[in-house]
Amino acid sequence: MRDVPILKIENLGHSYGKYLVIQDISLEVDSGEMTALIGPNGAGKTTFYNTVTGRFPPTRGRVHFNGKEITGFPAHKLVPMGLIRSFQITNIFPKLTVIENVLVPLVLHYRKGYSFLRALTGEKKLYRNAEEVLDKVGILESAHRPAGELAYGDKRLVEMAIVLARNPKLVMLDEPTAGMNPEETERMIYLIKELAERFGTTFFLTEHDMKVVFAVATQIYVLHQGGLIAQGDPETIRIDPKVREAYLGGSVND
Amino acid sequence: MKTYKPAATIFSSLAALALLSACPFVLPTYWTLILTEILIMGLFAMSFNLLLGYTGLLSFGQAGFFGVGAYATALFISKGGSSLFLCLVISLAAGAAAAVVIGYFCVRRDEIYFAMITLAFGMMLYTVAHSWIELTGGSDGLPLMTLPSLRLFGMELSLYSPTNMFMIVLLVTAVCIFFLWRLVRSPFGLLLTAIRENKQRLSFVGAGVQNLRLAAFVIAGALAGISGCMFSLFNSMAAPDFLHWGFSARPVLMTILGGSGIFFGPMLGAAVFFGLEQAITNITQNWMFFLGLILTPVVIFFPKGILGTLVDYLFKKTKGKP
Repeated sequence: MRDVPILKIENLGHSYGKYLVIQDISLEVDSGEMTALIGPNGAGKTTFYNTVTGRFPPTRGRVHFNGKEITGFPAHKLVPMGLIRSFQITNIFPKLTVIENVLVPLVLHYRKGYSFLRALTGEKKLYRNAEEVLDKVGILESAHRPAGELAYGDKRLVEMAIVLARNPKLVMLDEPTAGMNPEETERMIYLIKELAERFGTTFFLTEHDMKVVFAVATQIYVLHQGGLIAQGDPETIRIDPKVREAYLGGSVND
Repeated sequence: MKTYKPAATIFSSLAALALLSACPFVLPTYWTLILTEILIMGLFAMSFNLLLGYTGLLSFGQAGFFGVGAYATALFISKGGSSLFLCLVISLAAGAAAAVVIGYFCVRRDEIYFAMITLAFGMMLYTVAHSWIELTGGSDGLPLMTLPSLRLFGMELSLYSPTNMFMIVLLVTAVCIFFLWRLVRSPFGLLLTAIRENKQRLSFVGAGVQNLRLAAFVIAGALAGISGCMFSLFNSMAAPDFLHWGFSARPVLMTILGGSGIFFGPMLGAAVFFGLEQAITNITQNWMFFLGLILTPVVIFFPKGILGTLVDYLFKKTKGKP
Protein backbone atom coordinates (compact mmCIF):
# COMPACT_ATOMS: atom_id res chain seq x y z
CA MET A 1 0.00 0.00 0.00
CA ARG A 2 1.26 3.45 -0.84
CA ASP A 3 1.81 6.00 1.87
CA VAL A 4 -0.18 9.20 1.95
CA PRO A 5 1.59 11.62 -0.42
CA ILE A 6 3.33 14.42 1.45
CA LEU A 7 1.79 16.99 -0.89
CA LYS A 8 -1.41 16.42 -2.84
CA ILE A 9 -2.88 19.08 -5.06
CA GLU A 10 -6.32 18.78 -6.63
CA ASN A 11 -7.62 20.97 -9.47
CA LEU A 12 -5.64 24.00 -8.36
CA GLY A 13 -6.43 27.16 -10.27
CA HIS A 14 -5.74 30.84 -9.88
CA SER A 15 -6.92 33.89 -11.78
CA TYR A 16 -6.14 37.56 -11.53
CA GLY A 17 -9.49 39.08 -12.37
CA LYS A 18 -10.57 37.39 -15.59
CA TYR A 19 -7.07 36.31 -16.50
CA LEU A 20 -6.57 32.65 -15.67
CA VAL A 21 -2.91 32.05 -14.81
CA ILE A 22 -3.01 28.40 -13.78
CA GLN A 23 -5.86 25.96 -14.12
CA ASP A 24 -6.78 22.47 -13.09
CA ILE A 25 -3.39 21.42 -11.74
CA SER A 26 -3.45 18.09 -9.91
CA LEU A 27 -0.27 16.50 -8.69
CA GLU A 28 1.22 14.42 -5.92
CA VAL A 29 4.57 14.53 -4.23
CA ASP A 30 5.75 11.39 -2.46
CA SER A 31 7.98 11.52 0.55
CA GLY A 32 11.58 10.85 -0.43
CA GLU A 33 11.02 11.60 -4.12
CA MET A 34 12.69 14.51 -5.85
CA THR A 35 9.86 16.15 -7.73
CA ALA A 36 10.35 18.94 -10.24
CA LEU A 37 7.90 21.28 -11.91
CA ILE A 38 9.22 22.60 -15.20
CA GLY A 39 7.82 24.80 -17.91
CA PRO A 40 8.73 27.70 -20.17
CA ASN A 41 8.80 31.23 -18.79
CA GLY A 42 5.33 32.49 -18.03
CA ALA A 43 3.89 29.01 -17.63
CA GLY A 44 2.63 29.87 -14.15
CA LYS A 45 5.29 28.25 -11.96
CA THR A 46 5.63 31.17 -9.60
CA THR A 47 1.86 31.58 -9.22
CA PHE A 48 1.69 27.87 -8.42
CA TYR A 49 4.32 28.37 -5.70
CA ASN A 50 2.65 31.40 -4.26
CA THR A 51 -0.74 29.73 -3.93
CA VAL A 52 0.64 26.54 -2.42
CA THR A 53 3.06 28.16 0.04
CA GLY A 54 0.68 30.71 1.47
CA ARG A 55 1.55 33.97 -0.22
CA PHE A 56 -2.05 34.20 -1.39
CA PRO A 57 -4.87 31.64 -1.50
CA PRO A 58 -5.73 29.97 -4.82
CA THR A 59 -9.07 30.91 -6.38
CA ARG A 60 -9.87 27.23 -7.02
CA GLY A 61 -8.84 23.77 -5.90
CA ARG A 62 -7.45 22.11 -2.79
CA VAL A 63 -4.04 21.50 -1.30
CA HIS A 64 -3.29 18.71 1.18
CA PHE A 65 -0.10 18.36 3.17
CA ASN A 66 0.52 15.05 4.92
CA GLY A 67 -3.17 14.20 4.58
CA LYS A 68 -4.39 17.49 6.07
CA GLU A 69 -6.06 20.18 4.04
CA ILE A 70 -4.00 23.38 3.97
CA THR A 71 -5.64 25.30 1.12
CA GLY A 72 -4.95 29.01 1.55
CA PHE A 73 -3.02 28.63 4.81
CA PRO A 74 -0.62 31.53 5.37
CA ALA A 75 3.10 30.81 5.57
CA HIS A 76 3.31 31.23 9.33
CA LYS A 77 0.93 28.29 9.73
CA LEU A 78 2.55 26.11 7.06
CA VAL A 79 6.10 26.44 8.30
CA PRO A 80 5.54 24.89 11.75
CA MET A 81 3.74 22.01 9.99
CA GLY A 82 6.90 21.35 7.98
CA LEU A 83 6.31 23.02 4.61
CA ILE A 84 8.74 25.78 3.72
CA ARG A 85 9.84 27.51 0.53
CA SER A 86 12.82 29.32 -0.88
CA PHE A 87 12.71 32.21 -3.32
CA GLN A 88 13.93 32.79 -6.85
CA ILE A 89 15.74 35.94 -5.90
CA THR A 90 18.13 35.84 -2.98
CA ASN A 91 16.06 36.39 0.10
CA ILE A 92 18.15 36.68 3.23
CA PHE A 93 18.76 39.16 6.08
CA PRO A 94 21.69 41.04 4.51
CA LYS A 95 22.97 43.05 7.48
CA LEU A 96 22.79 40.17 9.95
CA THR A 97 25.71 37.78 10.15
CA VAL A 98 25.40 34.38 8.52
CA ILE A 99 24.85 32.64 11.83
CA GLU A 100 22.23 35.21 12.86
CA ASN A 101 20.42 34.51 9.58
CA VAL A 102 20.06 30.91 10.71
CA LEU A 103 19.32 31.83 14.33
CA VAL A 104 16.21 33.72 13.19
CA PRO A 105 14.34 30.58 12.06
CA LEU A 106 15.74 28.66 15.03
CA VAL A 107 14.38 31.23 17.50
CA LEU A 108 10.99 30.65 15.90
CA HIS A 109 11.46 26.89 15.81
CA TYR A 110 12.12 26.71 19.54
CA ARG A 111 9.37 29.26 20.26
CA LYS A 112 11.69 31.81 21.81
CA GLY A 113 10.32 34.66 19.70
CA TYR A 114 8.79 36.41 22.70
CA SER A 115 11.70 35.79 25.01
CA PHE A 116 12.41 39.44 25.86
CA LEU A 117 15.02 39.46 28.53
CA ARG A 118 17.21 36.44 28.06
CA ALA A 119 20.38 37.11 26.15
CA LEU A 120 20.45 35.41 22.77
CA THR A 121 24.09 34.52 23.38
CA GLY A 122 22.93 32.43 26.35
CA GLU A 123 20.92 30.14 24.08
CA LYS A 124 23.69 27.59 23.58
CA LYS A 125 21.37 25.03 22.03
CA LEU A 126 20.34 27.46 19.30
CA TYR A 127 23.95 28.28 18.49
CA ARG A 128 24.93 24.59 18.35
CA ASN A 129 21.98 23.90 16.09
CA ALA A 130 22.82 26.88 13.87
CA GLU A 131 26.40 25.69 13.48
CA GLU A 132 25.17 22.24 12.49
CA VAL A 133 22.96 23.69 9.78
CA LEU A 134 25.75 25.92 8.46
CA ASP A 135 28.03 22.89 8.41
CA LYS A 136 25.42 20.92 6.46
CA VAL A 137 25.35 23.47 3.64
CA GLY A 138 29.08 24.14 3.89
CA ILE A 139 29.32 27.80 4.94
CA LEU A 140 30.30 27.39 8.58
CA GLU A 141 33.58 29.21 7.99
CA SER A 142 31.64 32.39 7.06
CA ALA A 143 29.43 32.22 10.18
CA HIS A 144 30.36 35.63 11.55
CA ARG A 145 30.45 37.62 8.33
CA PRO A 146 27.50 39.83 7.36
CA ALA A 147 25.45 37.72 4.96
CA GLY A 148 25.12 40.59 2.48
CA GLU A 149 28.89 40.56 1.88
CA LEU A 150 29.07 36.98 0.65
CA ALA A 151 29.44 35.91 -2.99
CA TYR A 152 26.18 35.27 -4.82
CA GLY A 153 26.36 31.47 -4.64
CA ASP A 154 27.10 31.61 -0.92
CA LYS A 155 24.10 33.87 -0.32
CA ARG A 156 21.93 31.23 -1.92
CA LEU A 157 23.46 28.72 0.48
CA VAL A 158 22.56 31.03 3.38
CA GLU A 159 19.01 30.97 2.14
CA MET A 160 19.10 27.17 1.97
CA ALA A 161 20.40 27.15 5.55
CA ILE A 162 17.54 29.44 6.67
CA VAL A 163 15.07 27.02 5.10
CA LEU A 164 16.69 23.89 6.57
CA ALA A 165 16.94 25.37 10.06
CA ARG A 166 13.21 24.84 10.59
CA ASN A 167 13.74 21.12 10.01
CA PRO A 168 11.09 20.90 7.28
CA LYS A 169 9.46 17.78 5.91
CA LEU A 170 9.04 19.33 2.48
CA VAL A 171 11.19 22.05 0.97
CA MET A 172 9.83 23.86 -2.07
CA LEU A 173 12.71 25.44 -3.97
CA ASP A 174 11.91 28.10 -6.56
CA GLU A 175 14.72 27.96 -9.14
CA PRO A 176 17.50 27.15 -6.68
CA THR A 177 20.26 27.70 -9.24
CA ALA A 178 18.90 30.85 -10.92
CA GLY A 179 21.73 33.24 -11.69
CA MET A 180 24.46 30.88 -10.55
CA ASN A 181 27.65 30.17 -12.48
CA PRO A 182 28.29 26.56 -13.57
CA GLU A 183 30.51 25.83 -10.59
CA GLU A 184 27.96 27.16 -8.08
CA THR A 185 25.21 25.23 -9.88
CA GLU A 186 27.24 22.04 -9.59
CA ARG A 187 27.68 22.66 -5.86
CA MET A 188 23.95 23.30 -5.36
CA ILE A 189 22.99 20.10 -7.22
CA TYR A 190 25.40 18.11 -5.10
CA LEU A 191 24.04 19.73 -1.94
CA ILE A 192 20.38 19.05 -2.76
CA LYS A 193 21.14 15.42 -3.55
CA GLU A 194 23.19 15.00 -0.41
CA LEU A 195 20.53 16.58 1.81
CA ALA A 196 17.89 14.32 0.33
CA GLU A 197 20.00 11.20 0.79
CA ARG A 198 21.61 11.88 4.14
CA PHE A 199 18.84 13.68 5.96
CA GLY A 200 15.76 12.40 4.15
CA THR A 201 14.48 15.89 3.29
CA THR A 202 11.89 15.81 0.51
CA PHE A 203 12.38 18.47 -2.15
CA PHE A 204 10.07 19.95 -4.70
CA LEU A 205 11.62 22.34 -7.16
CA THR A 206 10.98 24.46 -10.18
CA GLU A 207 13.84 25.08 -12.49
CA HIS A 208 14.36 26.15 -16.03
CA ASP A 209 17.88 24.81 -16.27
CA MET A 210 17.17 21.34 -17.72
CA LYS A 211 20.60 20.07 -16.73
CA VAL A 212 19.68 20.60 -13.11
CA VAL A 213 16.26 19.01 -13.49
CA PHE A 214 17.55 15.87 -15.16
CA ALA A 215 20.41 15.66 -12.70
CA VAL A 216 18.27 15.63 -9.56
CA ALA A 217 14.60 14.95 -10.28
CA THR A 218 13.02 11.51 -10.08
CA GLN A 219 9.54 12.74 -10.97
CA ILE A 220 8.79 15.60 -13.34
CA TYR A 221 5.64 17.58 -14.08
CA VAL A 222 5.50 19.89 -17.08
CA LEU A 223 3.50 23.10 -16.92
CA HIS A 224 2.57 24.95 -20.09
CA GLN A 225 0.26 27.93 -20.44
CA GLY A 226 -1.10 27.37 -16.96
CA GLY A 227 -1.93 23.68 -17.27
CA LEU A 228 -0.04 20.40 -16.82
CA ILE A 229 0.77 18.77 -20.13
CA ALA A 230 2.94 15.85 -19.05
CA GLN A 231 4.24 13.94 -16.08
CA GLY A 232 6.63 11.08 -15.50
CA ASP A 233 10.23 10.10 -14.85
CA PRO A 234 13.00 12.03 -16.61
CA GLU A 235 13.22 9.51 -19.47
CA THR A 236 9.49 9.77 -20.25
CA ILE A 237 9.62 13.56 -20.18
CA ARG A 238 12.72 13.72 -22.35
CA ILE A 239 10.98 11.94 -25.25
CA ASP A 240 7.45 13.33 -24.79
CA PRO A 241 6.52 15.13 -28.05
CA LYS A 242 4.17 17.58 -26.31
CA VAL A 243 6.97 18.70 -24.04
CA ARG A 244 9.31 19.10 -26.98
CA GLU A 245 6.72 21.20 -28.71
CA ALA A 246 6.20 23.39 -25.65
CA TYR A 247 9.90 24.11 -25.51
CA LEU A 248 10.06 24.46 -29.34
CA GLY A 249 12.26 21.40 -29.52
CA GLY A 250 15.02 23.29 -27.74
CA SER A 251 16.50 22.85 -24.38
CA VAL A 252 14.90 19.54 -23.36
CA ASN A 253 17.72 17.67 -25.04
CA ASP A 254 20.33 19.80 -23.32
CA MET B 1 33.80 40.77 14.74
CA LYS B 2 32.47 42.53 17.80
CA THR B 3 32.93 40.55 20.95
CA TYR B 4 30.64 41.06 23.89
CA LYS B 5 32.47 41.60 27.17
CA PRO B 6 29.95 41.63 30.02
CA ALA B 7 32.47 42.74 32.65
CA ALA B 8 33.60 45.75 30.61
CA THR B 9 30.01 46.72 29.85
CA ILE B 10 28.94 46.53 33.50
CA PHE B 11 31.99 48.46 34.61
CA SER B 12 31.60 51.26 32.08
CA SER B 13 27.87 51.66 32.72
CA LEU B 14 28.45 51.86 36.49
CA ALA B 15 31.20 54.41 35.91
CA ALA B 16 28.87 56.47 33.70
CA LEU B 17 26.14 56.30 36.33
CA ALA B 18 28.52 57.39 39.08
CA LEU B 19 29.77 60.26 36.96
CA LEU B 20 26.26 61.40 36.11
CA SER B 21 25.03 61.22 39.69
CA ALA B 22 27.88 63.54 40.72
CA CYS B 23 26.70 66.15 38.19
CA PRO B 24 24.04 67.97 40.29
CA PHE B 25 26.60 68.49 43.07
CA VAL B 26 29.17 70.16 40.85
CA LEU B 27 27.11 71.78 38.09
CA PRO B 28 25.04 74.94 38.48
CA THR B 29 21.32 74.24 38.99
CA TYR B 30 20.53 75.51 35.51
CA TRP B 31 22.65 72.78 33.91
CA THR B 32 21.21 70.14 36.23
CA LEU B 33 17.80 71.05 34.85
CA ILE B 34 19.05 70.76 31.30
CA LEU B 35 20.67 67.39 32.03
CA THR B 36 17.38 66.19 33.49
CA GLU B 37 15.57 67.19 30.33
CA ILE B 38 18.22 65.49 28.18
CA LEU B 39 17.75 62.23 30.09
CA ILE B 40 13.96 62.34 29.78
CA MET B 41 13.96 63.21 26.08
CA GLY B 42 16.86 60.82 25.44
CA LEU B 43 14.87 57.95 26.90
CA PHE B 44 11.91 59.03 24.78
CA ALA B 45 14.13 59.04 21.68
CA MET B 46 15.61 55.63 22.57
CA SER B 47 12.13 54.15 22.89
CA PHE B 48 11.31 55.64 19.49
CA ASN B 49 14.48 54.08 18.09
CA LEU B 50 13.36 50.62 19.13
CA LEU B 51 10.91 51.11 16.27
CA LEU B 52 13.10 52.99 13.79
CA GLY B 53 16.58 51.59 14.29
CA TYR B 54 15.71 48.04 15.28
CA THR B 55 12.34 47.24 13.72
CA GLY B 56 12.58 49.57 10.72
CA LEU B 57 9.36 51.48 11.45
CA LEU B 58 9.31 55.28 11.28
CA SER B 59 6.67 56.50 13.74
CA PHE B 60 5.55 60.12 13.61
CA GLY B 61 3.13 59.77 16.49
CA GLN B 62 5.27 58.85 19.48
CA ALA B 63 4.40 62.13 21.20
CA GLY B 64 0.88 60.74 21.52
CA PHE B 65 2.07 58.05 23.95
CA PHE B 66 4.44 60.47 25.64
CA GLY B 67 1.52 62.84 26.21
CA VAL B 68 -0.80 60.07 27.37
CA GLY B 69 1.82 59.23 29.99
CA ALA B 70 2.11 62.89 31.01
CA TYR B 71 -1.66 63.33 31.38
CA ALA B 72 -1.99 60.01 33.22
CA THR B 73 0.39 61.30 35.88
CA ALA B 74 -1.23 64.76 35.98
CA LEU B 75 -4.72 63.27 36.36
CA PHE B 76 -3.56 60.80 38.99
CA ILE B 77 -2.07 63.63 41.04
CA SER B 78 -5.07 65.95 40.54
CA LYS B 79 -7.26 63.15 41.95
CA GLY B 80 -5.13 63.11 45.06
CA GLY B 81 -2.53 60.48 44.15
CA SER B 82 0.80 60.95 45.86
CA SER B 83 2.97 57.93 45.12
CA LEU B 84 5.77 58.45 42.64
CA PHE B 85 5.97 54.72 41.97
CA LEU B 86 2.26 54.62 41.10
CA CYS B 87 2.69 57.64 38.80
CA LEU B 88 5.30 55.72 36.83
CA VAL B 89 3.26 52.51 36.74
CA ILE B 90 0.07 54.29 35.67
CA SER B 91 1.83 56.23 32.92
CA LEU B 92 3.54 53.07 31.69
CA ALA B 93 0.21 51.26 31.59
CA ALA B 94 -1.54 54.19 29.90
CA GLY B 95 1.17 54.49 27.22
CA ALA B 96 1.07 50.73 26.62
CA ALA B 97 -2.74 50.61 26.47
CA ALA B 98 -2.88 53.46 23.94
CA ALA B 99 -0.18 51.73 21.90
CA VAL B 100 -2.10 48.42 21.85
CA VAL B 101 -5.17 50.07 20.35
CA ILE B 102 -3.35 52.37 17.93
CA GLY B 103 -0.65 49.83 17.09
CA TYR B 104 -3.28 47.28 16.11
CA PHE B 105 -4.08 49.47 13.09
CA CYS B 106 -0.61 50.85 12.41
CA VAL B 107 1.50 47.69 12.23
CA ARG B 108 -0.41 46.48 9.20
CA ARG B 109 1.27 49.06 6.98
CA ASP B 110 4.85 49.83 6.01
CA GLU B 111 7.08 52.80 5.50
CA ILE B 112 5.35 56.07 4.59
CA TYR B 113 1.90 54.57 5.24
CA PHE B 114 2.93 53.51 8.71
CA ALA B 115 4.40 56.98 9.32
CA MET B 116 1.19 58.67 8.15
CA ILE B 117 -1.13 56.49 10.24
CA THR B 118 0.94 57.05 13.37
CA LEU B 119 0.91 60.78 12.63
CA ALA B 120 -2.86 60.74 12.23
CA PHE B 121 -3.44 58.86 15.49
CA GLY B 122 -0.98 61.13 17.29
CA MET B 123 -2.95 64.17 16.16
CA MET B 124 -6.21 62.54 17.23
CA LEU B 125 -4.79 62.19 20.74
CA TYR B 126 -3.60 65.80 20.56
CA THR B 127 -7.12 66.93 19.68
CA VAL B 128 -8.54 65.00 22.62
CA ALA B 129 -6.05 66.67 24.98
CA HIS B 130 -6.77 70.04 23.44
CA SER B 131 -10.57 69.86 23.37
CA TRP B 132 -11.74 67.70 26.27
CA ILE B 133 -11.52 70.67 28.59
CA GLU B 134 -13.26 69.15 31.64
CA LEU B 135 -10.70 66.33 31.78
CA THR B 136 -7.51 67.86 30.44
CA GLY B 137 -7.88 71.57 31.05
CA GLY B 138 -7.80 72.21 27.29
CA SER B 139 -5.09 74.39 25.81
CA ASP B 140 -3.99 75.59 29.25
CA GLY B 141 -2.92 72.10 30.16
CA LEU B 142 -3.24 70.34 33.47
CA PRO B 143 -1.00 71.69 36.23
CA LEU B 144 0.43 69.43 38.90
CA MET B 145 -0.53 71.23 42.11
CA THR B 146 1.79 69.08 44.18
CA LEU B 147 4.62 66.77 43.31
CA PRO B 148 4.78 63.28 44.79
CA SER B 149 7.44 62.94 47.40
CA LEU B 150 9.67 60.03 48.09
CA ARG B 151 10.45 58.48 51.45
CA LEU B 152 13.87 56.88 51.41
CA PHE B 153 15.68 55.60 54.52
CA GLY B 154 13.38 57.67 56.70
CA MET B 155 14.16 60.83 54.76
CA GLU B 156 11.55 62.84 52.96
CA LEU B 157 12.88 63.66 49.48
CA SER B 158 11.05 66.45 47.72
CA LEU B 159 10.93 66.46 43.94
CA TYR B 160 10.90 70.27 44.07
CA SER B 161 14.62 69.99 44.59
CA PRO B 162 16.34 69.84 41.17
CA THR B 163 18.95 67.48 42.58
CA ASN B 164 16.35 64.99 43.80
CA MET B 165 14.45 65.30 40.55
CA PHE B 166 17.61 64.63 38.58
CA MET B 167 18.47 61.58 40.71
CA ILE B 168 15.01 60.07 40.27
CA VAL B 169 15.04 60.72 36.53
CA LEU B 170 18.53 59.23 36.29
CA LEU B 171 17.46 56.13 38.18
CA VAL B 172 14.28 55.56 36.17
CA THR B 173 16.05 56.24 32.87
CA ALA B 174 18.87 53.86 33.78
CA VAL B 175 16.42 51.08 34.64
CA CYS B 176 14.54 51.62 31.35
CA ILE B 177 17.76 51.70 29.33
CA PHE B 178 18.91 48.48 31.01
CA PHE B 179 15.59 46.92 30.02
CA LEU B 180 16.07 48.08 26.40
CA TRP B 181 19.64 46.83 26.42
CA ARG B 182 18.51 43.36 27.43
CA LEU B 183 15.64 43.50 24.99
CA VAL B 184 17.71 44.21 21.86
CA ARG B 185 20.07 41.39 22.77
CA SER B 186 17.30 38.86 23.31
CA PRO B 187 15.89 36.41 20.76
CA PHE B 188 12.97 38.85 20.41
CA GLY B 189 15.45 41.60 19.56
CA LEU B 190 16.95 39.44 16.81
CA LEU B 191 13.52 38.97 15.27
CA LEU B 192 12.95 42.74 15.33
CA THR B 193 16.13 43.32 13.33
CA ALA B 194 15.03 40.53 11.00
CA ILE B 195 11.77 42.48 10.39
CA ARG B 196 13.86 45.52 9.51
CA GLU B 197 16.08 43.51 7.19
CA ASN B 198 13.50 41.43 5.33
CA LYS B 199 10.02 40.98 6.69
CA GLN B 200 8.88 38.81 3.79
CA ARG B 201 11.62 36.27 4.44
CA LEU B 202 10.79 36.37 8.13
CA SER B 203 7.12 35.59 7.56
CA PHE B 204 8.14 32.74 5.24
CA VAL B 205 10.15 31.10 7.98
CA GLY B 206 7.02 31.11 10.07
CA ALA B 207 6.92 34.34 12.07
CA GLY B 208 3.79 36.37 12.75
CA VAL B 209 5.38 39.66 11.71
CA GLN B 210 2.42 41.86 12.68
CA ASN B 211 2.31 40.52 16.22
CA LEU B 212 6.04 41.03 16.66
CA ARG B 213 5.71 44.58 15.39
CA LEU B 214 2.79 45.19 17.70
CA ALA B 215 4.84 43.95 20.66
CA ALA B 216 7.64 46.37 19.74
CA PHE B 217 5.11 49.18 19.29
CA VAL B 218 3.58 48.56 22.72
CA ILE B 219 6.98 48.42 24.44
CA ALA B 220 7.97 51.69 22.74
CA GLY B 221 4.62 53.20 23.77
CA ALA B 222 5.07 52.12 27.39
CA LEU B 223 8.54 53.63 27.59
CA ALA B 224 7.28 56.83 25.93
CA GLY B 225 4.58 56.87 28.65
CA ILE B 226 7.21 56.68 31.38
CA SER B 227 9.17 59.48 29.70
CA GLY B 228 5.98 61.54 29.58
CA CYS B 229 5.37 60.88 33.29
CA MET B 230 8.81 62.22 34.16
CA PHE B 231 8.37 65.17 31.81
CA SER B 232 5.11 66.21 33.48
CA LEU B 233 6.73 65.93 36.92
CA PHE B 234 9.69 67.93 35.66
CA ASN B 235 7.48 70.69 34.20
CA SER B 236 4.81 70.46 36.94
CA MET B 237 2.21 70.19 34.20
CA ALA B 238 0.87 68.24 31.25
CA ALA B 239 0.10 70.28 28.15
CA PRO B 240 -1.48 69.43 24.78
CA ASP B 241 1.76 70.46 23.08
CA PHE B 242 3.34 67.29 24.46
CA LEU B 243 1.16 65.34 22.01
CA HIS B 244 1.53 67.57 18.99
CA TRP B 245 3.20 66.13 15.90
CA GLY B 246 5.84 68.81 16.20
CA PHE B 247 6.75 67.15 19.48
CA SER B 248 6.81 63.78 17.70
CA ALA B 249 9.48 65.19 15.41
CA ARG B 250 11.84 65.65 18.37
CA PRO B 251 12.79 62.00 18.87
CA VAL B 252 13.09 61.69 15.09
CA LEU B 253 15.56 64.60 14.95
CA MET B 254 17.49 63.40 17.99
CA THR B 255 17.78 59.89 16.60
CA ILE B 256 18.99 61.12 13.22
CA LEU B 257 21.48 63.47 14.90
CA GLY B 258 22.89 60.75 17.13
CA GLY B 259 22.52 57.76 14.83
CA SER B 260 19.74 55.19 14.64
CA GLY B 261 22.08 52.25 14.19
CA ILE B 262 23.74 52.69 17.59
CA PHE B 263 22.12 51.82 20.90
CA PHE B 264 23.02 55.12 22.63
CA GLY B 265 22.74 57.20 19.44
CA PRO B 266 19.37 58.81 20.31
CA MET B 267 20.57 59.72 23.82
CA LEU B 268 23.61 61.46 22.41
CA GLY B 269 21.34 63.08 19.85
CA ALA B 270 19.21 64.46 22.69
CA ALA B 271 22.32 65.86 24.37
CA VAL B 272 23.46 67.51 21.13
CA PHE B 273 19.94 68.83 20.52
CA PHE B 274 19.69 70.58 23.89
CA GLY B 275 23.33 71.61 23.85
CA LEU B 276 22.80 73.33 20.52
CA GLU B 277 19.57 74.89 21.71
CA GLN B 278 21.39 76.41 24.68
CA ALA B 279 24.32 77.61 22.60
CA ILE B 280 22.21 79.08 19.81
CA THR B 281 19.39 80.65 21.81
CA ASN B 282 22.09 82.70 23.55
CA ILE B 283 22.68 84.35 20.19
CA THR B 284 19.32 84.29 18.43
CA GLN B 285 15.68 83.38 19.04
CA ASN B 286 15.41 81.48 15.75
CA TRP B 287 17.35 78.48 16.86
CA MET B 288 15.34 76.03 14.73
CA PHE B 289 16.81 77.69 11.64
CA PHE B 290 20.29 76.83 12.83
CA LEU B 291 19.24 73.37 13.84
CA GLY B 292 18.24 72.88 10.19
CA LEU B 293 21.60 74.23 9.07
CA ILE B 294 23.33 71.66 11.25
CA LEU B 295 21.01 68.76 10.54
CA THR B 296 21.34 68.98 6.77
CA PRO B 297 25.08 68.25 6.55
CA VAL B 298 24.69 65.53 9.21
CA VAL B 299 22.12 63.73 7.07
CA ILE B 300 24.06 64.27 3.84
CA PHE B 301 27.60 63.53 5.01
CA PHE B 302 27.05 61.37 8.11
CA PRO B 303 23.91 59.36 7.42
CA LYS B 304 24.76 57.12 10.37
CA GLY B 305 24.55 60.09 12.75
CA ILE B 306 27.22 61.55 14.99
CA LEU B 307 27.71 58.59 17.30
CA GLY B 308 27.28 56.09 14.47
CA THR B 309 29.99 57.78 12.41
CA LEU B 310 32.27 58.06 15.42
CA VAL B 311 31.92 54.38 16.28
CA ASP B 312 32.50 53.39 12.64
CA TYR B 313 35.62 55.52 12.56
CA LEU B 314 37.06 54.08 15.79
CA PHE B 315 36.11 50.55 14.77
CA LYS B 316 37.83 50.85 11.40
CA LYS B 317 40.88 52.38 13.05
CA THR B 318 41.31 49.48 15.47
CA LYS B 319 40.47 46.98 12.75
CA GLY B 320 43.20 48.37 10.50
CA LYS B 321 45.87 47.71 13.12
CA PRO B 322 47.64 44.35 12.88
